[in-house]
Amino acid sequence: MNEKNKYDLHYFLSDASFENWAKDTNKNDIAYWNNWIQNNTEHLETVENAKSIIIGISFNQEYPSNQKVNEALANVLPKVGLNVSKKSNFKKTRTLNNSIITAAAAVLLVLIGFTTYTYLNNNTTTIHKTNFGEIIDLKLPDGTSVVLNGNSKIWYDNENPRLINLIGEAYFKVKPIPSTKAKFWVITEDLKVEVLGTQFHVNTRKQKTNVVLDEGSIHLELANGDVTKMIPGEIVSFSNESKKLTHKKVDIETPYALWRGGTYTFNEIPLKEVMYNLETTYGVEVSYELDYLKELPISGGIPNQNLQICIAAIEKATGTRIINNDNILRVQENPIN
Amino acid sequence: MELHSDETIWYFFKKGEANGFSLLFKKYYPQLHVYGLKLSNDQELTEDCLQNFFIQLFEDRDKQNSINNLKAYLFVSFKRRLIKQLQKKQNNVPISEAQLFKANFTFSAEEISIHQEMQFLCTSTLANLINKLSPREKEVLYLKYYSEMKSSDIAEVMDMNYQSVLNVLQKALTKLRKSSENQQIKNILKKS
Repeated sequence: MNEKNKYDLHYFLSDASFENWAKDTNKNDIAYWNNWIQNNTEHLETVENAKSIIIGISFNQEYPSNQKVNEALANVLPKVGLNVSKKSNFKKTRTLNNSIITAAAAVLLVLIGFTTYTYLNNNTTTIHKTNFGEIIDLKLPDGTSVVLNGNSKIWYDNENPRLINLIGEAYFKVKPIPSTKAKFWVITEDLKVEVLGTQFHVNTRKQKTNVVLDEGSIHLELANGDVTKMIPGEIVSFSNESKKLTHKKVDIETPYALWRGGTYTFNEIPLKEVMYNLETTYGVEVSYELDYLKELPISGGIPNQNLQICIAAIEKATGTRIINNDNILRVQENPIN
Repeated sequence: MELHSDETIWYFFKKGEANGFSLLFKKYYPQLHVYGLKLSNDQELTEDCLQNFFIQLFEDRDKQNSINNLKAYLFVSFKRRLIKQLQKKQNNVPISEAQLFKANFTFSAEEISIHQEMQFLCTSTLANLINKLSPREKEVLYLKYYSEMKSSDIAEVMDMNYQSVLNVLQKALTKLRKSSENQQIKNILKKS
């Protein structure tokens, strides 16, 4: 391909910085492209055309109202044989659900102050988000309890409070609804967890998703369509790098890291993994005086409500000293040992 | 932030979950409704056809293999169905897409806002200028700027290649620019 053909419409249209220049939005991009055009005047026509494609025409989109859409949906649902009675029940309880959400939001604000925010977006989406080092207990509108670890987020459509999106780490105690057998779903980037009534833990950090099942039974479905069933006491990990799933039974010999009720339980886990949990939940940085310290094994429970207590517990479990200097943690040998 | 990705919605739809059906319906019924109305200019026919389209999509959900691009897929298959219905209504006289769209795909002044570059025009003038474009040009403009579709998706919906979509866009916008400049000159002459 010669140089001249390289600068076609597609070349400019697929460049995000060119789009910024055309929309006059980013100073650096504007300066760059103004300069580029001055030095490449032979492409001026293509540049002008690309710009007019990006700017285009502003339409005022007028879509049918929510009410119209819901009416059409109510008309179609019975025709495809999807549970109609459930639908009408659902409508009846909708106002109730909303008041529970409001109540939950109010309780949360009282309990955790203003750093964690829970808000309703267009009255259709509920989002719960925690900052570093913050843990919140949530009750979803259907009665399911969620413990959301620090630096994590869940969100859901208010009309589908049993279809939850998760980034980060959370523990779920799902409320079974035996009458309708309504399922509960947790969606992460890698997989979907399908649940009846049960207790389980999901962690999406560190390029992998971990699911630990305490009670009941759940199905996991990976983005690639593979399905696997879990039994209680199992831990399933999906690695984003290897795209592989591993099943393990949690017993005395398996190394594992579990988090529930605000406590991390470790079994023969190297210190570096434990410290990684602190990095993601508290937003600290960790460095090591000597490399062998990274591999020191830890077993036991470590409370996760407070960074100071956490550090003290880890020091005790490993016989190290951990210096906290402005959220930079330095792991050292303990001179007393 | 998008509440549920197309991939998630399609997953639940294929599973036959009521949730999945509702999510898909709520996300795409409004967009397809407006598109269908633009094509057919017939509200009753569009709504009937659209509801039946969702019903059939659900019934055939097991026949669908993986769909790479849900939005383009829905637009193109709904359009095909709608054209068939329109032809039926015309007593099965075969009628080409171009003939169908000649009368339709028009825009009103209320549907258009004027951005800075064309400030000298009023919305009704711009609507008129757009309505004078060829049916294909109007549909590309509609899909690109009203339905906010990527050019590669438009290529799929209109059964054209990507480069031709860009060419049609460019030609349509150039026409608009030229005719709006003419309009501006007329306005100036009128005033003097």
